Amino acid sequence: MSSHSASGAIDHHHDATTSTGIPNKKLFMWTFLASDCMFFGALISMHVIYRIHPPAGSPDPRTIFSIELTSFSTFILLMSSLLMALAVNAIQKGNLRSTRNNLLGTIFFGLIFLACQVYEFQHFVHDRNLTLSSSIFGSTFYTLTGTHGCHVAIGVLWLVLMYIRTFKPADADKSRKPWFIMSVVHLIVFTVATLLGVYVTVDFGHQLQTPGFGIGAFLSGHLIPLIGLAASLAGLIFLGRGKGPVDFGEANAMDVESMGLYWHFVDIVWIIIFPVVYLLEYI
Amino acid sequence: MSAITADPASAGHDAGHSHSKFHVFVEVAMLLAVITGVEIVIIYLPLPHWLVLGTLTLLSLVKFMFVIFIFMHLKWDKFFCTVMFFIGLLLATGTAAALYALFSAGDSKPVGPAYETARFDHQAPARVSDLA
Repeated sequence: MSSHSASGAIDHHHDATTSTGIPNKKLFMWTFLASDCMFFGALISMHVIYRIHPPAGSPDPRTIFSIELTSFSTFILLMSSLLMALAVNAIQKGNLRSTRNNLLGTIFFGLIFLACQVYEFQHFVHDRNLTLSSSIFGSTFYTLTGTHGCHVAIGVLWLVLMYIRTFKPADADKSRKPWFIMSVVHLIVFTVATLLGVYVTVDFGHQLQTPGFGIGAFLSGHLIPLIGLAASLAGLIFLGRGKGPVDFGEANAMDVESMGLYWHFVDIVWIIIFPVVYLLEYI
Repeated sequence: MSAITADPASAGHDAGHSHSKFHVFVEVAMLLAVITGVEIVIIYLPLPHWLVLGTLTLLSLVKFMFVIFIFMHLKWDKFFCTVMFFIGLLLATGTAAALYALFSAGDSKPVGPAYETARFDHQAPARVSDLA
């Protein structure tokens, strides 16, 4: 343990430290986030400026937005941030089981946010005729929220890879089943479960709004995707069983913390986007 | 489970510290959820625009600060991390302010038929333009 523990500061857990006293990975992440601030600052400014000077015929965002859905996804992203903070807290204590559970929760909430965004974009394009090229509002809106969505998707992928990494056996080199192949299978099963889950959820949301919706008709119409989803979830449970000692623990706290910084940054960008892009239109 | 074992001498201190942080994280998350609720409700209240705008700005700022200082650990990290991040943040804010000032200046206002129509016919339904 470093001397920081005695003073109550965060312990950096054996990570290489720079001359500033800050571990390399953390310093890199904070520098990257500072540069990403400028990137999003430019995108948000672009959207606001064109909202202040809208050309004739600009669509009225209040007739396009669904503030209920956006509020729900804002709440979901906030809760994912809490779970990410708890995952970092758990790995700093060496509690691997809690770390895995919190990572899974963060992934789940991140996917819900993405599903909401996919649903929102689909709704805007097909029902509201708002496309990337239909108006300047469409261009700046999709560029800004789409870039944020890409950041969320990258974050989810990083979380999944970190989750799979927590299963690397301590004797990976001597194992009968090569670790690399097992992790690729794990990633494929995760991807299949994610795609099917998003597809079924978004389609369920769509059909819920259609008159004469029946749960029986929905289940029979989506039998193959639902069976595939159940099979991939069973595969995830199978692959997620605890089997012997693993090569992941307190020593990897900095890796999880760096990923957490990225995830929280995605959250704070949304903290700005939500009032600026959505709420301001209603006052 | 873990290949690395924590130092037993500091385990007690770390456990207490992490336990208290667990409660801090949960309490902050609940507070942020409440603030988000207030943000959503306030836009429907019959209040002056400047008051709603000011409140939204303040609440967003509070949420932002809570996340970076508590969830992102800036409160417990070395001050240099705060300096590093705020350099980027200030540059972003400065760029935004400069762009806003440039595009609001008389000579820089967009011209052309589309904008002329918007200005004189008041067809553009954007309420945000009222803020300019």
